[in-house]
Amino acid sequence: MSIKIALAGNPNSGKTTLFNALTGSNQFVGNWPGVTVEKKEGKIKGYSAKNDEVILVDLPGIYSLSPYTLEEVVSRNFLLDEKPNAIINIIDGSNLERNLYLTTQLVELGIPVIAAVNMMDVIKKNGDKLNTERLSKELGCEVVEISALRSEGIDVLAEKAVRIAKSGKKMVAQHSFDGSVEHALAHIEEAVLHDMPDDEQRFLAIKLFERDDKVIERLNLDSKIVSHIETDIKNCEDELDDDSESIITSERYAYIASIIGSCYTKKSRGKLTVTDKIDKVVTNRWLALPIFAIVMIIVYYVSVTTVGTWATDWANDGVFGDGWHLFGIGSSQYEDAANEYAEKEIFLPEVKTALEGANEAGITGADELLTAVEEKDFGAFEEAYGSYGEELAVKEGGKFDITPMLPLDENGEFADTPDPAEYGVWVPGIPVLVESGLNAVNCADWLQGLILDGVVAGVGAVLGFVPQMLVLFIFLAFLESCGYMARIAFIMDRIFRKFGLSGKSFIPMLIGSGCGVPGIMASRTIENERDRRMTIMTTTFIPCGAKLPIIALISAALFGGTWWVAPSAYFLGIAAIIVSGIMLKKTKMFSGDPAPFVMELPAYHLPTIGNILRSMWERASSFIKKAGTIILLSSIIIWAGSCFGFVDGSFAFSADMELENSILGTIGNAICWIFAPIGFGNIKAAIATIMGLVAKEEVVGVFGVLDFEGMTRLAGYAFLAFNLLCAPCFAAIGAIRREMNNPKWTAFAIAYQCVFAYAVALMIYQIGSVFTGGLNIIGLIAAILVAVFLIYMLVKPYKSADKLTIKAKIKA
Amino acid sequence: MIPLTFANVGEKVCIKKIKGKDETRRFLGNLGFVENGEIIIVSDNGGNLIVNVKNTRVAISREMANKIIVA
Repeated sequence: MSIKIALAGNPNSGKTTLFNALTGSNQFVGNWPGVTVEKKEGKIKGYSAKNDEVILVDLPGIYSLSPYTLEEVVSRNFLLDEKPNAIINIIDGSNLERNLYLTTQLVELGIPVIAAVNMMDVIKKNGDKLNTERLSKELGCEVVEISALRSEGIDVLAEKAVRIAKSGKKMVAQHSFDGSVEHALAHIEEAVLHDMPDDEQRFLAIKLFERDDKVIERLNLDSKIVSHIETDIKNCEDELDDDSESIITSERYAYIASIIGSCYTKKSRGKLTVTDKIDKVVTNRWLALPIFAIVMIIVYYVSVTTVGTWATDWANDGVFGDGWHLFGIGSSQYEDAANEYAEKEIFLPEVKTALEGANEAGITGADELLTAVEEKDFGAFEEAYGSYGEELAVKEGGKFDITPMLPLDENGEFADTPDPAEYGVWVPGIPVLVESGLNAVNCADWLQGLILDGVVAGVGAVLGFVPQMLVLFIFLAFLESCGYMARIAFIMDRIFRKFGLSGKSFIPMLIGSGCGVPGIMASRTIENERDRRMTIMTTTFIPCGAKLPIIALISAALFGGTWWVAPSAYFLGIAAIIVSGIMLKKTKMFSGDPAPFVMELPAYHLPTIGNILRSMWERASSFIKKAGTIILLSSIIIWAGSCFGFVDGSFAFSADMELENSILGTIGNAICWIFAPIGFGNIKAAIATIMGLVAKEEVVGVFGVLDFEGMTRLAGYAFLAFNLLCAPCFAAIGAIRREMNNPKWTAFAIAYQCVFAYAVALMIYQIGSVFTGGLNIIGLIAAILVAVFLIYMLVKPYKSADKLTIKAKIKA
Repeated sequence: MIPLTFANVGEKVCIKKIKGKDETRRFLGNLGFVENGEIIIVSDNGGNLIVNVKNTRVAISREMANKIIVA
């Protein structure tokens, strides 16, 4: 016979850690209340034999069994409907009073309960004493001391829990309420519940006394009966001068206070704990924001600019490029050799003269090439030549064309360059390995193209960001599990509240600046459904790691690398979130008061390395899985779209198909009129935007620097704005779909993002055109109408909803 | 009798009354904010408070803190 045991307890009481200890599974544990929203199942170690298995269900953390939050509803429904054989109630021993509040409710359900007092090591260290026997007697259930983190007492707990579950002995709550409450409860039991099983009556009677709608609905009560028991409730309320729910809450706490003195001896300690002292500083009115800013700057500096850049370069140019030197052995020798070669063969006086001339003529990229020559840096020269070589050849009638002066082979590559593989320990990149492998088996050209240009290049481009993300995730996991993340939500709440989001929305956006997929997933910790949906919709406005190349490209190609383009992209993202927040809060879907901010702040502790790595891996692996599935598929489709096409009227395949002739080009041609009003009605820009759906950095892949020829700066910036704000990549859309858990909301989110992006780009381009002299009356009128509408939505007063109806769809 | 927002950091106060909608009161009640219970204010961040209630730290916004009347 299989046995089911539920694991219930307060948020952050160590439930998931205990679940891992009991089942041996690897769930991530965050020092952040509400890490578990869905319930999870596992088999208790040592009880997994087929005929004798014990299933443990990890319920979300709850403070009570009221129907107030999603977690409570999930947990309560499970306990009432599935009737597990026993409940393990995990109690944070360092916070006994508050945790026992839930216990007093669990024991009323009639299901056998075993209380596991966790963090006994902390209690002992503090010098406090817990009398478990006494507590067990008072509660009427077994009490076991454990330390989930150190795996102490776990075996005893498992054994006792299984024994209790098998015994089938019903639980009888030991505590009673005030005389008048008991009187009313007895009446309710007699009037409504007398034909129910004895052990279930108590819980339901109390819930009916509290006027719990969900229970009334569940029992399918007649309105006559409801009004009958209403008189009993009213009488009791009048007598105690409070509403029924508050009466029960106060009675419970009063009961706990009455037993706790005899069970728990607290050593009088200093006034402030370490956590209080840290909180005094990091949440201080003046210091909170500066400290937070410093922490974030460190996180980003390390993960984006230093370690992150190094890691990304290695992944993109090494693993998914030509190859790399193991541990850098041989890199410097190779560089010396390459520079020496360049000095002899490339950096000739005539090249320098031509470049100087080009630079004076103001040809794009000439300055970069010249700098490379002056610094005798072959690597930089090769890269810059790849980008700007063609430009030099055509501008000014080819006067400054350096191509004939260079030692190029028939493929346009530099001939006889030193081979990096000959220096040090060289590890070839994946494309190189795959290519040689395919050559060895005489693979057909088209298949080779599919594998190399489609699969390896497409998936590689995305996976190239993984190392950088890992670094960022390590930091975030640390902040999360040490307890600071919960404080960030608290600090930011003051600011976010102003535009209709909660402080908890900040975490998804923070993570979203690395990658939108884990960012959207992080929105799960927001209990309020409206806030959560709004956060999901706006998180991807923040430029993620993959959007950085687009920003870099536009800024370099059209704005000559001006400093303000990149920061302006971030400000654009933040402004989009603020504007969307204010506007959406005024629509019917999102109206209502923002959920009041109440959040338990966990005690600070040093996280374990295992836990940090587990969290990092959980986030990264879900991203990698996406890359392996959806991105793989779309890479193949895009590749096929670009290689198959119509040449001279007949369908053909060619690896070097002109973009204009390919299927992709045909599609781009068909839809590019859509983008004409926002400044980039050409095929390439249209295709680039479609490709951006696969992965944002693909946008860059479509454009070489030269393709911006003929695009004005204004159109370029509108293009940038549109691509930053419109629907995110497929991977992120998938994440949105999962978190929204509702096709309509997913569609709405995507549509909103696209329309919003279009509106912004339209305003930028059309209103900007007035100043650059490309005035288009119809376009301008459209843009002004959009602007007026936006301003109207921003200043329009809030319409407060009279009643908020939350329809929570719960997948239990 | 003052709202919690007016109490000083580090002060130990006693909850006299909790105002507001049922939903709010219920939620605060579940977290341990009950009448005649004691709370200590740990930190004040522009009206948003961190308080110690029943031995746990809870962060509450200014709106919520205003609904808790203490003495």
